[in-house]
Amino acid sequence: MSDAAALDTVTPRAGARPVFARLAAAVVRWLPLILVCAAWQIAPTIGLISPDALPPLSAVATAWWGLLTDGSLVSNGVSSMWEIVIGLGLSIVVGIGAGVLMAWYAPVDALVSPLMKSLYPMPKSALIPVMILWFGLGIGSKIASIFSGCLLPVVLSSYNGARGVDQTLIWSALGLGASRRRVLWEVVIPGALPEIMAGIRNALAISFILMVAAEFLVGQHGLGYLISFLGDGGVYDAMFAGVLTVSAFGFLADRLYLLLMQRMLRWRE
Amino acid sequence: MAGISFREVRHTYRPPRGKALLALEGVSLEVQDREFVALLGPSGCGKSTLLYLLGGFIPVEDGQITVGGKPVNGPSPDRGIVFQHFALFPWKTVRQNILYGLEKQGMPRAEREKRAQEFIELVHLKGFEHSYPSQLSGGMRQRVAIARTLAVEPEILLMDEPFGALDAQTRALMHEELLAIMRRAPKTVVFVTHDVREAVYLADRVAVMSARPGRIMEIVDTKLQSNARGEELLQTQEFAAKVDHLWKLVRDEAIRAQGTHE
Amino acid sequence: MARVSEIDRRETMLTALRVGSGVVFFAAWQLTAMSHVFSEFLLPSVPVVAERLWHDLISGDLLYGILLTLIRTFIGFALAAVGGVALGVSIARIPLVRWFFDPLVSVGLPMPKVAFLPIFMLWFGVFDTSKVLMVAFSSIFPVIVEAWAGTQNIDKYTTWSAMSLGVSRHRFLWEIALPAALPQVFTGLQVALPIALIVDIVCEMQMGGEGMGGSIMTDMRFADSPGVFAYIVAIAIVGMVLVKVMEIVRRRLLVWHQETQTA
Repeated sequence: MSDAAALDTVTPRAGARPVFARLAAAVVRWLPLILVCAAWQIAPTIGLISPDALPPLSAVATAWWGLLTDGSLVSNGVSSMWEIVIGLGLSIVVGIGAGVLMAWYAPVDALVSPLMKSLYPMPKSALIPVMILWFGLGIGSKIASIFSGCLLPVVLSSYNGARGVDQTLIWSALGLGASRRRVLWEVVIPGALPEIMAGIRNALAISFILMVAAEFLVGQHGLGYLISFLGDGGVYDAMFAGVLTVSAFGFLADRLYLLLMQRMLRWRE
Repeated sequence: MAGISFREVRHTYRPPRGKALLALEGVSLEVQDREFVALLGPSGCGKSTLLYLLGGFIPVEDGQITVGGKPVNGPSPDRGIVFQHFALFPWKTVRQNILYGLEKQGMPRAEREKRAQEFIELVHLKGFEHSYPSQLSGGMRQRVAIARTLAVEPEILLMDEPFGALDAQTRALMHEELLAIMRRAPKTVVFVTHDVREAVYLADRVAVMSARPGRIMEIVDTKLQSNARGEELLQTQEFAAKVDHLWKLVRDEAIRAQGTHE
Repeated sequence: MARVSEIDRRETMLTALRVGSGVVFFAAWQLTAMSHVFSEFLLPSVPVVAERLWHDLISGDLLYGILLTLIRTFIGFALAAVGGVALGVSIARIPLVRWFFDPLVSVGLPMPKVAFLPIFMLWFGVFDTSKVLMVAFSSIFPVIVEAWAGTQNIDKYTTWSAMSLGVSRHRFLWEIALPAALPQVFTGLQVALPIALIVDIVCEMQMGGEGMGGSIMTDMRFADSPGVFAYIVAIAIVGMVLVKVMEIVRRRLLVWHQETQTA
């Protein structure tokens, strides 16, 4: 939606230089971010904002470089990424399986779906303490927290996606002689894919939130831990660098996922 | 005096991305006061665009449109419009929808209420004053739209395929209601449609438009001499002959339009 | 209004199903606890947790904690709601505002905003101000996005009808644009409220203070697992109630909207 809203500029007539025009349009579009960065640099430098509260962008960049070269950014980053990969990955596998099964087998649906819909609005971050009780202070509790938080969105979207598959498609396939199992794999799951992928995108955002939240609370590894540690130690420019890094990861992950989603769903207009 | 004059009206459609498209090419037409004129043509011929230009919703870039001698300059309650998909305010009840235009005119409360009630009864919606559009059928919604537009007593009525979203039976009923309303309080009407029979039945004259870029190909007089009404009229030779004549004109353009559709 | 009572009847049936499902859930919990597959510490039995809940309820601690959490959540949410709608509508209607905020919103939306918590703590301390502002910052994005979309995507013909009937430019926003956008704006609010609750609990867990998040962390530190479980049940109930309340408000407010009408 923001993509569509962006370009109010007039499309050049045929024969103009489209590449240049597109580049110019991209600059115009992202200029506000550049302005924000400029303000971030200028305001603390001239004392408009206290540089203790908001270190200038240059200081943050320097600190970021320091974190990168001394390895703390990489080692903690890898740790966090593993948490997300495993936690989210598990929730996707289990979630799609559960959601599709619920949609396909009516008795499972009747039993489980009211429960699932009731539990959906529960703030999953509240489960972090339980995960810590169960899995200790290490990486296990983080993975468990991410898994528990991402599971329901994936289940729900798989469920809705599978249920939303056009009945006539299913009946046609059955009529052509396909077994119920084949129909499940070859009609229902592909049909549910758009909604499943949208649910996973949602879960991806949640995984980042839970990763950071859990790492803030306990543990010795990960980007959340790093930020918290730097903050406690008063090293604010590095702390800001850490925050930006995590935010950038979250943003990039979403964008990359979006590209993946578009490629996989190419057959859909 | 509410005569309408189109002079050499051209219009180019400029989408935010992609090529510009010539929608209308040199349209000229005179509509007399109190005349019912239908704009007939295939999809994409620009007939709705012409209506929107007349309504003042799109600015006239090339050529001139005047009403009673004055050029069109933005929308106005003098040129009431009824759209195909009703365009009612969904958060307002039937009564509130019809009251809206009257409120905008600054009419005092008692008078507004009275006028609104009159028009609710005119379109046979008594008893549904407090219903929301989502609770009504298509035909009923269109009647609300017509009542809402007529309540402000415009000199000119613009109708953009108003019965296109309704089923055949409802459409036939709406034709009769529209004619009855016009008999009671005649207005100048510009009626856009792609349905030849509807055009012949309702209109005094039919302007046939070509496929895109649209221009007026021929103007046919469709005032029917017969005294018959309704079903009977549709069965007469006179009616059939007019429909046939127009259908031949439109058919070729419709085929051309199919070919040029992207 | 026959249609509304039909909806109420269906809702009662659904609630009954949910209760039944809940019964199954608690039965499964209790059976697992009684089988001693997990220790009493890892999975306290239902009666133990229930008793703890009851105890906290009577002592007033639970209600106090819920109240604090809800107050912070609502204030942050209210800020996000007002600010988000104002911003979203402005973005839709004023090109300059749109140009400025479009990249900010599209970059900000997928970011894990909780990562900014230490920054908020640095700027606003460890008390309620930073919690409320963090909640507002996190929940404002969906409100902006929906308010923007809702205002931008108003049906062209509805707008034209209003213009034709004589609406003035200044009154258009209040009389036509906002009511037309309300369904989508409300959806944005419905998405934002659970986010507000989640973020508030995370803030409380991190910063302490006597809301539910703070209490659950305290219990965890004291290895008081019945307490942890009791608070989770309480939080779950609060979450459910909030969502339900929003649904009811939506049905009353948007009685005219076509979705509420379909039985």
